[in-house]
Amino acid sequence: MSEVILKAEELSKTYALNKRKIPALSGVNLQVNKGEFVAIMGPSGSGKTTLLNVLGCLDKPTSGKMILDKVDVAKLPERELCKIRRDKIGFIFQTFNLLPYLNAAENVELPMENTKRPRSERRKRARELLELVGLSGREEHRPQRLSAGEQQRVAIARALANDPAMILADEPTGNLDTQNKYEIVRLLANLNIDRGTTIVMVTHDSQVASHTERMLLLQDGRITKEKQGLHLAKKKLVCPYCGGKIQPSDERCPNCRKRL
Amino acid sequence: MGALTRSVRNISRRKMRAILVIIALGFSMAIMISIPSGIVANQEAAQRLTENFNSTISNMQEEINKTSTLIECSTSSGQGTFSSAPSGMPPGMPSGTPFGRFGQEEIFVNETVGDEIRSIDGVKDVVPFFEKSSNETTSETINTPRGEFTITRPLYTITGVCLNSSFIDDYSILPTNITAGRNLREGDSDVLVMSLNLTHYFGLAVGGKAEINGKSFTVVGICNSTGGGFTGTRTVYMNLSQAQAITGEIGNVSRFDVYAEDVSYVDGITEVINAAYSDLRVTTYKDRLTNFENMQTMYNETLNNAQSTLGQTETVATQEIIVAVVATSLIVLFVMLYTVRERTKEIGTLKAIGFSTWNVMSQFMLEGILISLMAGVAGIAIGSIGAPFLSSLLLPHISLFGGSSSSRFQSGFGSVSPGTTGSESVTAALSPQLMLLAFGVAVLLGALGSLYPAWRAARIRPAEAMRYE
Repeated sequence: MSEVILKAEELSKTYALNKRKIPALSGVNLQVNKGEFVAIMGPSGSGKTTLLNVLGCLDKPTSGKMILDKVDVAKLPERELCKIRRDKIGFIFQTFNLLPYLNAAENVELPMENTKRPRSERRKRARELLELVGLSGREEHRPQRLSAGEQQRVAIARALANDPAMILADEPTGNLDTQNKYEIVRLLANLNIDRGTTIVMVTHDSQVASHTERMLLLQDGRITKEKQGLHLAKKKLVCPYCGGKIQPSDERCPNCRKRL
Repeated sequence: MGALTRSVRNISRRKMRAILVIIALGFSMAIMISIPSGIVANQEAAQRLTENFNSTISNMQEEINKTSTLIECSTSSGQGTFSSAPSGMPPGMPSGTPFGRFGQEEIFVNETVGDEIRSIDGVKDVVPFFEKSSNETTSETINTPRGEFTITRPLYTITGVCLNSSFIDDYSILPTNITAGRNLREGDSDVLVMSLNLTHYFGLAVGGKAEINGKSFTVVGICNSTGGGFTGTRTVYMNLSQAQAITGEIGNVSRFDVYAEDVSYVDGITEVINAAYSDLRVTTYKDRLTNFENMQTMYNETLNNAQSTLGQTETVATQEIIVAVVATSLIVLFVMLYTVRERTKEIGTLKAIGFSTWNVMSQFMLEGILISLMAGVAGIAIGSIGAPFLSSLLLPHISLFGGSSSSRFQSGFGSVSPGTTGSESVTAALSPQLMLLAFGVAVLLGALGSLYPAWRAARIRPAEAMRYE
């Protein structure tokens, strides 16, 4: 049985607006195993971002329990939560959120700044991660000199910096064109297959979500539906369309020629 | 990539804003350091003047004590008053001050009067003096606190001294402050001692020949002229009989210095002289003491006024410094508040990737301190160049003696104060200590001004910050 990385039980989050209570999450139960690639889908206002914020320890749940990598984080104070965010979670944002006055390598180094790693090691790791996301040679480029797709790759490298237990991606393809969108999804999928990185991705794009292993549908602050994505078959090196054998590096199925 | 590098890059990212803020802060800093330097300069100037006053007062008191047996008997032209005596000349010596007696008729008395006075009971010695203006005149412009005046006055004063060795030994009758050559001595003839400004005017040195009223004299000594440059006292000193001869006043003198055997005789002698010689104006140590006391009162008033002006100036300066400090802190505060608002999303990102509250706070405080430090450098640069201008612009004009007191002051104590305005020249200059202090203040204000914005930045909840556009 796979190790559970994230377990949420009856998670609720209520916002107060002019003395009126607005429920954003109403008893979410969720479990993510190590090495899973999960998509959380839902229409606007369904509570996707709130759930991601709570899962990412950016926000505290009003009630419920949340265990992240064996730590109950729901009641932790802010000074502990920042360590959890640094060591156990990697964030990828829709708008990339790179610091414009730092170059690509420096942006990747940033989460490692408050760790005990020596500077030389941080630099080396930043370069390795940039190479991993296909940005070798772009280390010194500042964000404004990179394309949107490249910026999101830098953000992915940054999310991997401290070897987190889980990556949380909030609409990572929302600001990208079609080609970049699939490239980023493939990059995330490959990271999941090659490195066993656990990824929880929020998206409203069903095509993008279908490339994950498991899709959870969030409606009115509750997970109402769950279904399998194409990624599971891909993980088993089987074409999800024709059942033929495929390799992890294949962009199209060698038998049916469909895009993987 | 540390917080310092990030702070520097953030500041340099918005160069124009940074430059404007640094200039604004720099001016505040410059004001903060220029004002104290101006105050210190004024205090030092006041201190110097007070010391000058005290020294003059004590010299005068000493002279009064020394000359308690001296009774000055001058003709009514008003020569020889103690109050107009230039320093460097013994009391009773003719002054020849710029506004002294020109325009008045010069009156003389026969020197036989001296012999008569000598016969009065209790008189020890009678020393005659002769003084007459030269026939040559000169026009000169004099700057006074009330404006410029052009006056015509004699080119110099001829002073005749009785070169009797016992007088020379017992009483200070010769000019003092000989700067070149020698002083007059018994038996001197056809020689003179000339004041420095006159030697410059005539282009003479020791050994040179000067023609006075058609007679040639050898310059044997040069004495310091009092009261500044050419406008000061211009005098030639020579043998009494020769001074009388070349001015056509044979047998006449301008003044007698009568020395009593003892101070107890002074009143009696004065009474007799007053009764017998109504043309002579008699001045005793009592008159000099009264003059001295009046002068001392005036000095004290002047110094009190100066101290009061300085006190007011310091109050104004303190207020201005407080305004500058508050302005500097507010500039840092608003700039950093704006920066925090502008970079809310960045703060959210930093927190999302694991930056702690302290990490975020220190980052913003560091930026505030860095801006203030740069402003400190700019302030010192502006202050170094503009301290005198800024301090004179911001502090009330400090004229330690004011217009009217200045002229009073000059007439009495011309030698104490340099120049004609009666006030010390005050130049504000920055000391290294003040510069160090400015840096310290810059850091402190930077830290204070950015404390609240940094605290606000650190308190932003990451989820809210991420939503901020």
